[in-house]
Amino acid sequence: MHARKLTCLCFRNFPIAHKRFFSTRKLSNAEVRRKRNDLFEAEKQRQLSLYERIEKVEVQYTGLPESCTLIMNKGISTPYNCAMHMTEHIGNQAVLALVNGKLWDMHRPLMEDCQLSFLHFRDEDPRMVNKAFWRSCSFILGGVLETAFKEEFYIQLCSFPKPDVRSGSFVYDVDLDMSHWSPSSVELRCISQIGSRLKEKDCKFERLDMTIEKAEEMFTDNKYKLQQIPSIASKSESLNHVTVYRAGEHIDISRGPMISTTALLNRFDISAVHKLDTSLSNTMYRVQGIGMPTQLQLHYWTYEQLVNRSKKLNPALMPGTETQTDILESTEPAKQQAVD
Amino acid sequence: MSLKIPYSQTARKFRGTFGLGSGPSGRIKRLRMCVTGLIRHERIESTFARCDETRGYAERLINIASRHGDKDKYAMEVADYWLLEKDLIHKLFKVIVPRYENHRSSYTQLYMLPKELPGYGKDMGVLELKGNPWPQVVPKQRETKYFLTNMLVDELRKEHHRTKRSPFVNKILETTADNIDIDSIQNQYIQDSLVDNDEGKTKNVQSHDNKND
Repeated sequence: MHARKLTCLCFRNFPIAHKRFFSTRKLSNAEVRRKRNDLFEAEKQRQLSLYERIEKVEVQYTGLPESCTLIMNKGISTPYNCAMHMTEHIGNQAVLALVNGKLWDMHRPLMEDCQLSFLHFRDEDPRMVNKAFWRSCSFILGGVLETAFKEEFYIQLCSFPKPDVRSGSFVYDVDLDMSHWSPSSVELRCISQIGSRLKEKDCKFERLDMTIEKAEEMFTDNKYKLQQIPSIASKSESLNHVTVYRAGEHIDISRGPMISTTALLNRFDISAVHKLDTSLSNTMYRVQGIGMPTQLQLHYWTYEQLVNRSKKLNPALMPGTETQTDILESTEPAKQQAVD
Repeated sequence: MSLKIPYSQTARKFRGTFGLGSGPSGRIKRLRMCVTGLIRHERIESTFARCDETRGYAERLINIASRHGDKDKYAMEVADYWLLEKDLIHKLFKVIVPRYENHRSSYTQLYMLPKELPGYGKDMGVLELKGNPWPQVVPKQRETKYFLTNMLVDELRKEHHRTKRSPFVNKILETTADNIDIDSIQNQYIQDSLVDNDEGKTKNVQSHDNKND
């Protein structure tokens, strides 16, 4: 800490570019996380302050316990707030919302008059929910990896591929800053425990759209994300926005949608770490895991078989090839089912 | 003509359905009443044995009616015999026969009801015509195929079978060509296995040689 302050003082008179260069190299993962959270909070407050005068939207809810019409605040109220007007159970159990036929995060503000219904893990066709869960598990895996190691290792998350439940494992490709690391089963279990403890923490997933400049400022300390941001933005709906999610203190880029909270995550296991041969870095690893939602029960023997299966190297796209994060997915359910 | 339902070659006797000594004519009378009731109400509840016996006659009646049509003398006689209420002859030919025009399975459905205690003392059943307007006897089960756990376990099972299958079968399944030449694959497979065995033999021979040395 002292050493870094000294270096900053020494280079105070140098041009700004140099100062920036030094500060980015010296930050640890914890400090980067704090910095990103401050930026996220500031941007969120800025976007909220745009709604000076509260306008109302009409939400027509269909589903249990009874269909009804709600008058909510535009740009402030979320589907979760709508659920609070019904029963506590719905708010706790719903994974995603369906707003005007589009998949919508539970904590994303409503923007217009809409039809609303909720999606669960035990629906007739929960494939979209499963995908969102798998994606959220990848997101959480990234957060776990960033917090798990000592400060001397600077972890840089690279990307996670499109969620594919049938492959048996969710994936995060990450630069671990170690050339040879083959973790023991005890080490893997210790890291997994960080993820499984999130169930009690009940961190909700917050979504924020931001411009390319803001996103680049947020991810200056991660060279992979910084590189990906322009291509991600070019594939977004408005062509210059990046969607960022936050759960607890972890922030990552993803197109979404994500599940409601980490309380829906019951079992979480990191099963295998594979070294990758890529042009991006010599210290790139593919970390794989498997998780189960709270609402679905599974016998421990069956779960053990699934964990064993998830240890195989996931055949998803390697980082460094063209489509890096899950940016090519559409948010309309009909199209995605056709892909399935 | 064969019925599309399982049935026994020996008829149930139903002795005493109309009191002691009602005999075979009593049986026929009871069955005619049941068939009439079935065509009238499209769903009847009775003892399981009686429903099962009625089922065969009802299937036969509808089959004859749909095969010969309402202008046939034989079909008309059969309908006249089995349907005690004569307005149902019209319903049979004009409503029920057109309903099963493109039907490939049986016309009726039989369910066994749970035992009731204290109750009648016999197994009870429900016999219904398919495509009736009543609510379903067995409620529709929820689809659980796409639950996250079920999808994962399903893939696990598939992978298990893939690894356990013989390499010969795997090779056939892997070939995507339209005309699969099984003989050539088999010959190739046999050759491969022979080569493997030969290698094994030679290895064994070598090892023996080494021992001899």
